[in-house]
Formats: sequence, structure tokens, C-alpha cells
Amino acid sequence: MAPRTDTAPAPKTRRRVLEGARTFASRKRTREIGLVWLFLAPSLAIFTIYRIVPLIWNGVLSFQFWSPYKPAEFAGLYHYEEMLFYDEAFWETLWNTLIFMASAPVGIALALGVALLVDTPIRGRNTYRTIVFMSYPVMTVAVGIIWQWLFNEKVGLINYVLISLGVIDQGIPFLESFTFALPAVIVASIWQVIGFYMIILLTGLQSIPPSLYEAAAIDGAGAVQRFRRITLPLIRPSLFLCFVVGIINSFTAFDLIFVMTGGGPGHATDLLVTYIYSTAFRLSKFDYAAAITVVNFLLFVALAFLANRLAGGEAGAVKPGG
Amino acid sequence: MHRYPRWPVHVALLAVSTIMLVPFYWVLKTSLTGENIFAFPPALWPENPHPFFYVDVWYAIPFFRYLVNSVIVSVVVVAANVVLNGMAGYALTRDFPGKATTILLFLSCMMIPFQVTIIPAYLITSELGLLNSHAGMALPLSSTIVCIFIFKAAFEAIPKSLIDAARIDGVPDWMIVFRIIMPLTKPAIATNVILSFIWSWNSFLWPLVIIRDETMQTLPLGLSRFLSVVEDTTGALYAFCVMVLVPGLVIFLLAQKEFVSGLTSGATKG
Repeated sequence: MAPRTDTAPAPKTRRRVLEGARTFASRKRTREIGLVWLFLAPSLAIFTIYRIVPLIWNGVLSFQFWSPYKPAEFAGLYHYEEMLFYDEAFWETLWNTLIFMASAPVGIALALGVALLVDTPIRGRNTYRTIVFMSYPVMTVAVGIIWQWLFNEKVGLINYVLISLGVIDQGIPFLESFTFALPAVIVASIWQVIGFYMIILLTGLQSIPPSLYEAAAIDGAGAVQRFRRITLPLIRPSLFLCFVVGIINSFTAFDLIFVMTGGGPGHATDLLVTYIYSTAFRLSKFDYAAAITVVNFLLFVALAFLANRLAGGEAGAVKPGG
Repeated sequence: MHRYPRWPVHVALLAVSTIMLVPFYWVLKTSLTGENIFAFPPALWPENPHPFFYVDVWYAIPFFRYLVNSVIVSVVVVAANVVLNGMAGYALTRDFPGKATTILLFLSCMMIPFQVTIIPAYLITSELGLLNSHAGMALPLSSTIVCIFIFKAAFEAIPKSLIDAARIDGVPDWMIVFRIIMPLTKPAIATNVILSFIWSWNSFLWPLVIIRDETMQTLPLGLSRFLSVVEDTTGALYAFCVMVLVPGLVIFLLAQKEFVSGLTSGATKG
């Protein structure tokens, strides 16, 4: 700020002007802060009502006996005890959820392969990217319907292909089978999410400076070595981001499972999230379902935290001589 | 870069593309021909395709009702998202006491999947008297944290001097937002429109929980209901399926760039 000495008023008047300016400024500041909160208020209200309050309420509910028709009563650890020691379905659905999450790396590995292919400077790569990604924004309910049709025992395309190839003699009722139902659902889920993995990995691949590859090639590193020493370490954050997406996918798979199998046969394809839904909204055991929800949420937070930690650390740092 | 022959890459990518596209094809084929579940093998190519099932859908189920409900909810959600996220994103570019806490709050809300809040969210919605209503379906989706941060980044990219100049000219704050800032953040708005449309259009669990009334059902609910009610031999189900898929796919293909950039920026921030 250039001092404007020539236009400065006499000291006394000047102070008055400054004070006036200050109160004006502070009033303006108060107004501005008011406006900021006014702008934030609707979003904050929505997240308070639909995220924070429910999370807390859910926690409280899990320690209560409660149903829409009777007042709440303190239950202590009753629901947790029932869940952990007497409910086999809970363990089965927990196990299914873990299997479902553990299938994420399979999808991520496939997506990495596709990402490496569409990262090469070939003609039509944008078309390929669009095609691979196209299944992601599609309505999951519709995906479920498409895939239960593909898995159909008699006229499903998958059985037809397997029979034609001579892998099996007779159609497999995939979605009614205790052995195959969960893998079938997982295949459909990977089909839908693989494009999203690919996009995330592609962003990671494109952030690697080409000079690194050139330098490595000059030093005589082969393609495999370059992939292991440069590509993999540098896209580690993207890989773990994909894993977090995969974990979240075990929640969003609700739509898919609801449509394809409804959790059956038995509980063979029930994940925690579908089990919570049926316990709460079919059996009206809201309090018990709340306790399962707590477990599901803690599992999610723990795994997301772990993935974050693993993605951090030395990620992004290029080790010299690598 | 080494010169590799290109054809193996093309072969691999064509194989991948086939796997990604065949499910779509199979449903399209079934919707045009129907399928006799006692005829093996299934026909790989559509024989005598006819649009009969597409007409049938309108009679078999209240398709128009579902469509209207879906459109109402999506329009409300998209409009609310643009306005509310824009406002919140703008607020976050200013300095104010509690800013760090607010951002932290938003970021931690991002870590709460909606699915783990459905039980109390249902009870709250019931308390608000919004069960079985469009407003009840739209409200939880009306603001999205990812999009707030997309807006924040877009606003921060606008030169401060422009806003200062407008302010010196005595332009009121709300007018600055709607006349100067909004037009300059078109990409962020486009991203927000696409993301919130796709999310609300596809949303299933939440309507499933709060909608009991048949006349309030949206397309995904109608679709899943149709599957459980109707024998899946009828082509109408798959015609319905195609009719539901098309709007989402068309909008995605038109605005692919915004959609992808929105998703990746959101994902890398989460």
C-alpha cells in the first residue's frame, strides 16, 4: 500500500475516520460470517440429519430394546451377545462380506491390466475406455437383472457358453447353488465396478513422468523390471484407493444381491448390508439390526483406515537406484 | 518408447470390450425376441425382432407412473445439489471462525456410508412425516460432499480481483454468486448435475426402505418388483430393463468427461 501522506487528514480527524472504518469493517465482517453460515446451513443440516444423528442414534439403538410399538429400554450388550454367540447367520454374512471384499483385488488386478492396455498410444483407446467404463454408471438394479438372466440355468448365455466349450454337460443353476451363488454375484459386481477401477488406475499411470521409464530403459531395465520397480510403486496410492472403492462396493452391492438372489439360497449370498436390511425392515428387529450395523461400520472404518495407512508412507517417493 | 506391434493390444482390448458389451447385447436381444426357456440352445442372434414387448411394458405395469416419480426425484435432487453445494462450496472459500472444523466435519461425513445409517434415517424420515413422498426420497441426496469440494476448487480458481472489482462496484453478494461466479464455474456445475442425476436415478435402497405406496415407486423399485412378480420368460421385463438403462447411458455418453473428472476428483479427495 502506498502511503498517501498528501491526502491524509489531520491526526484527530484521521483517527475518527479510522475508527469509523473499523466499526464499518467489523460490521461488514459479522455480516459476511453470517452469510457464510447461512450458505453452509442447508448442507450442514442435511448431513447432520442424515449422517451424524443416524450414526449416533444407531449406536444408541444397538444398546436398547426397542421396536416401533414399545418404548426403549436399556439392553446393555444383549444384542451383541446374541449376535456373537447365538446367531450363525451373522457369522455367515460377515464371512460373505469378507469374501466379497477380498474379491476386490481380483477386480483391481484385472482393471490394472486393462488400464495398462488403454494407456498405450493406440488408435481408438478412448473408445475402449468408454466401453470398459460404461457399465459403471448403469443402474445396479438393471445390472442385477441382466446378470441373473445371463446366469439362468436353462437359457443363460453363460451356461450355453460353458456347455459349448465342453466344460460342463448340464446347465448349472448358479444363483440357486450354495457353491456358485456368491461367486456369481461377485462376477457381476466386478463387471460393474471394473471400469471405475480402471479410471482411477489410469489417472495414477498418467501421473508417472515418462522420463523415468526412459531413464530405466537406458539403464537396461526390461519391461517387467520397469513395471515392478517404477509403475507399481508409483501407482500404489491409486491401488489402495481402488481397494477403498472395493470395500465401499460391499455396501453398494446391496442392489445387486437384492435383485439377483435376495441373499439366498439360505444366507449364501447375504452380506452384512442385506442381512441388516432384512432384519430391520422384514423382521422389524430394528435394535438388533442396529447392532449388526455397528459391526459393519467398524469393519469398514478399520479397513479404510488400514488401506489409507498402506497407501501413505513412502507412496509417491521415488527411491533412487530403484 | 519402444515400438511394439499393436495388434496384440487390439486383440486383448477387443476381447475385454466384448465381455463388457455382451451383457448389454443379451438383454437387448431378449427384449426384442423374448425367450422360450424350454428351447435349448438359446438363439445367439435375434430372430424376428419385434417391438411388441416395448409396448407391452406400458400395459403390464404403471411404467409412466414410475418414470414420472423417478424424474421428479431426480430433478429435485439435481436442482438442490447445484444450489446447496454451490452455496456451501462458496462459503468454504471464505475465511471464517470454525472453517477447519467444518471441513473436518464434511470429510468425516464422507466416511459414513449411507447404508449404515438407514435404520435411524428411516425413523427420522418417519418423524418428519416424509415416508412415501418424493421429498423423503430426495432429501438425503440433496447435498453431496464430493460436489461441495468440486465447487470449492472451482471457486478458488476464479481470480479474486474479479470478485473484488464487482464488490467495489457495489454488487450484492448474492448477485456476485449468481451473475459472476456461477457462469465461471460451468464445468463444476456440469459435473455436479451429472453425478447427482446418476446417483438419484439409480438410487434403490433408500426408496426401497421408505416407499410402501405403489404409486410412489420409482423405476428401480418397479424394475425389481417386476422381476419378482412376472415370470422372467417374458420379454417385457427385459424391454423394461432396456428402457430404464437408456436414459442413464445416454446422459453418461453425452457428459462422459464431466462424469469421469468428477468421480476421480472426488475419489482422490476421499
